[in-house]
Amino acid sequence: MRSWKLAKMSMVFAPRLAESAPTSHVGASWSPYDNNGGTCVAIAGADYCVIAADTRMSTGFSILTRDYSKIHHITEKCVLASSGFQADVRSLQKNLDARHQIYQHQHSKQMSCPAMAQLLSNTLYYKRFFPYYSFNVLGGLDNEGKGCVYTYDAVGSYERSGYSSQGSGQTLIMPVLDNQLKSASPLVLPPRESSTPLTESEAVDLIKDTFASAAERDIYTGDGVEIVIINKEGIRRETMALKRD
Amino acid sequence: MEIDEHIGCAMSGLTADARTLVEHGRVETQNHRFSYNEPMSVESTTQALCDLALRFGEGDEESMSRPFGVSLLIAGHDESGPCLYHTDPSGTFWQCDAKAIGSGSEGADTSLQEHFNKNMTLEEAETLALSTLKQVMEEKVTSSNVDIAKVAPKYHLYSPEEVEAVIQRL
Repeated sequence: MRSWKLAKMSMVFAPRLAESAPTSHVGASWSPYDNNGGTCVAIAGADYCVIAADTRMSTGFSILTRDYSKIHHITEKCVLASSGFQADVRSLQKNLDARHQIYQHQHSKQMSCPAMAQLLSNTLYYKRFFPYYSFNVLGGLDNEGKGCVYTYDAVGSYERSGYSSQGSGQTLIMPVLDNQLKSASPLVLPPRESSTPLTESEAVDLIKDTFASAAERDIYTGDGVEIVIINKEGIRRETMALKRD
Repeated sequence: MEIDEHIGCAMSGLTADARTLVEHGRVETQNHRFSYNEPMSVESTTQALCDLALRFGEGDEESMSRPFGVSLLIAGHDESGPCLYHTDPSGTFWQCDAKAIGSGSEGADTSLQEHFNKNMTLEEAETLALSTLKQVMEEKVTSSNVDIAKVAPKYHLYSPEEVEAVIQRL
């Protein structure tokens, strides 16, 4: 008797496994974000900074275009490369441009790279609860003319280091850079010089090699790489073709 | 009073009003450091204070119905070197090499014009400032009725002993 009553109770309280819930959870619902793929890399030297990004823009398993620039010149001495959701990236770039213009009007000078680094961090954190889906690398020359590279996460945590990579090929490229640029690694404690001992042409060659390697294995990286070099003479741009498969 | 570690100011007039301006200056300079990780330039700080003076205050509730009745001397050190600005209640500011404000300012200004030169050392400047003050003050200059501060390159308010040391050199 008792066991029959228990069985009846358990039937009432047990979850109804056979029926499905009124709303079906099959398939992805709408997401405000998309990932357009791509990889960005930057290396800082004693008096130069090299920033590079591939030129492929994708969505899902398709390519949208083979010739899209992920690099944005914010000031004369400061360049932003961002991978992730390019609509958010574009919006972020416009936001920073506007803030830079206001700064120039108020303070009669261009923003320095460290100042822009802080501004970018604050701008990203401002949208802490609906972030910019943007993985940024900021590169340029600091107030003394030394190369500087700042890496960010999507909500604004940042660090100055000698080199950095972000995006879909990050995990392929970062270990190679760690190996080649040991002294400037952000992993070394106590933190040492935040610029590499390489010459400018050595750094550019290293970047070309790393992108070629990343393009082999990462499906979202390829088509071409755009390389921007900042030194005291100004800003220079190079391109190199990558595998289109 | 100190506005930031690289900017200080002296006031003349309704000193109660000055405190509102200095407080605003402190907030603006710290906001700048937060946003841009760098010290705010002295001219921009002066401009921020003058903007407040022009509006008679900020916001709907806190704004006053009269101008701030105070002149300020803003002294600071930024990437363009040491500099001095003079503001008045209209919200105008001027850059100066040497300036005096207050009741004895006319005589003091003339005296400064005669004795100032751009290559003065800090000690000579201390002596000149204090001797000019002595001329226009009715009471005798002592370490308890005179304040000295310098921005070289950080703000520092002199202790009574340091003031006494300068008085001895007069």
